Amino acid sequence: MDHIRWLLGRTAAALLTLLGVSVLIFAAVRAMPGSYTDLVLGPLATRSEKAAAAARFGLDRPVVEQYLYWLRNAVQGDFGTSLAARTPVATEFGDRLPVTVTLTALALALTVLIGIPLGVYTGTREGGGRGGAAGRLVSAFGMSLPEFVLGSLVVFLFTRYSLGLSVGTYVPWSQDPLGSVGSLFLPACVLAVFCVAATARTTRDAVLGVLVEPHIAAAVARGEPKGAIVRHHVLRNAAVPVLTLVATLTAYLLGGTVIIERLFNVPGLGSYLVDGLDRRDYAVVQAGVLLAAAVFITMNLLVDLVSGLVDPRIGTVGKRADA
Amino acid sequence: MTAETTPLLVIDDVVAEYRTGSRVVRALDGADLTVGRGERVGIVGESGSGKSTLGLLTGRLLPKATAYPRGRVLVDGESVLDLPPDRLARLRRERLAFVPQDPVGALDPTLRIGRQLRLALRDKPTDLVALLERVLIRDPERVLRLYPHEISGGMAQRVIVAMAMARRPALLIADEPTAALDSQVREEVLRLLFTLAAEHGTTVLWLSHDLGGVARWCDRIAVMYGGRVVEDGTTTDVLTAPQHPYTAALSAADPARAKDGTRLLTIGGTPPVLTESTPGCVFCPRCTSADDTCATARPAPRTVEGRTVLCHHPGPGGTPVPVPDGPAPKAAVPDGQEEA
Repeated sequence: MDHIRWLLGRTAAALLTLLGVSVLIFAAVRAMPGSYTDLVLGPLATRSEKAAAAARFGLDRPVVEQYLYWLRNAVQGDFGTSLAARTPVATEFGDRLPVTVTLTALALALTVLIGIPLGVYTGTREGGGRGGAAGRLVSAFGMSLPEFVLGSLVVFLFTRYSLGLSVGTYVPWSQDPLGSVGSLFLPACVLAVFCVAATARTTRDAVLGVLVEPHIAAAVARGEPKGAIVRHHVLRNAAVPVLTLVATLTAYLLGGTVIIERLFNVPGLGSYLVDGLDRRDYAVVQAGVLLAAAVFITMNLLVDLVSGLVDPRIGTVGKRADA
Repeated sequence: MTAETTPLLVIDDVVAEYRTGSRVVRALDGADLTVGRGERVGIVGESGSGKSTLGLLTGRLLPKATAYPRGRVLVDGESVLDLPPDRLARLRRERLAFVPQDPVGALDPTLRIGRQLRLALRDKPTDLVALLERVLIRDPERVLRLYPHEISGGMAQRVIVAMAMARRPALLIADEPTAALDSQVREEVLRLLFTLAAEHGTTVLWLSHDLGGVARWCDRIAVMYGGRVVEDGTTTDVLTAPQHPYTAALSAADPARAKDGTRLLTIGGTPPVLTESTPGCVFCPRCTSADDTCATARPAPRTVEGRTVLCHHPGPGGTPVPVPDGPAPKAAVPDGQEEA
């Protein structure tokens, strides 16, 4: 019962936050210097031409009225029409979102499958020593290498020497699911490098932190084998910071694949949004930012929910039982 | 089965050093202790005297960076410092049990009590409700479903005692098990611990600050100072007629034993932090009856009045501080002892 009430409260708060974000972004987009009419019609357009274009898209109405109109449609799933492409934003998102989601999911899978085991392994290695130092060096390198540098390098290597994976040709999911994943594999790897390094580092630190806790000493004193201690008593205790990081990375990936999408010519959301911003394509930017905010809020909600389940001391879910 | 004639625990001239970088702290400086089966031994001494180190040494649980330049530790005849990891883990699992100072910290905060007990005893199916009832926990079904942060320190310590005693260990090492508890709960936990130990024939090593408690529950007492056992004998002998000046001073400084209205005596100076072996007696700088011999020659164990003493001038005459008069504590037979 407490769980449901908590979830309802948090969902209501999330919706309110989204509403606030929509107001902010609506205002911010319009406050940017250079309006749609200036940028699309160019410096030579006459005043009356600009006014006609503005009237056509309703840009001459008061901002509040524009907002309410947009909000009414948005609630019904209509995010307006791209001013530049003259296509419905919702349709475009529907085409591009799966691409970005697949890319993100691939990168995340690599992150979780490589980063967490790597962190646990380096964290539980006795003393650390040379292995620990090497691990720290690799993760520092992975975290400080900019994506565009690594991405450019990969693009160069794979196009110059045709190493088996194609670069720059996206295969749609509907055509060939396996080929689609294959065409996104390289960009996902480039995206994952930072995430793997960050996850390995955070996991390692969390594991090291748990290993010095007294309940681990107690388990050692009971004669528990090392593997059992790690499985039963370390992983769960170290999970919360790692979960938080992975959730943040998810949100970051969904919104931050812009450079990689450009570099690898992937028709995802990132490139669409940047183009929209360049052209002051209000509807596109509004929908994109709202989506990013929704993703962040959902991930935070999810992390709070899961953290409360993983570590009972975090009193997010329900109330404490009486001692 | 090991022959009953071998002592359960032999700590023989052990030197233990914590090494961090270039810093060396010598926590044990030639400690000797032999404990027979079924004995209840209280180890007393100021903080930093090496009590906890001695307790952890028994299971080779000291930090990885600890060096042992000298000495050996035998549990049931097995040399603890030389065992390979798997045999060491087995020794800890089957013969030893530890009860720590902070019971709540010793439980995994993410697991319910029932789950941790099942995990800890997974190779030994146990009726957990009965197990908790043995340690006088009311409503055990409910407690099994709780998380460690939801129970009190006293209850957590009872859970720890239950977990420790479930395997019927040969040797129980309790490091100030009541330090984190309320005074009302202390006596209960001690009674539980010693009663269960008596029932299971478990030998107890109780590291304590509580001289009165040791007098009540232990038949033997070992006084530690500067990483050595400086006096070791029956509780009655040692506490009523200390032969080592440090024992006398410690006993005079025990607030529980001071008479009302009298000034509590303190031991001048602070206990040493050793970095190497001392040339003379470690207590020499704080001892009022020390002479040139004490500063230059290391005292060797000698038998005086039925106990072992590390002092050049043992005896009540050497006592610098008067022992407060009043009824001397007697080693009492704990409840349930007869059943053993």
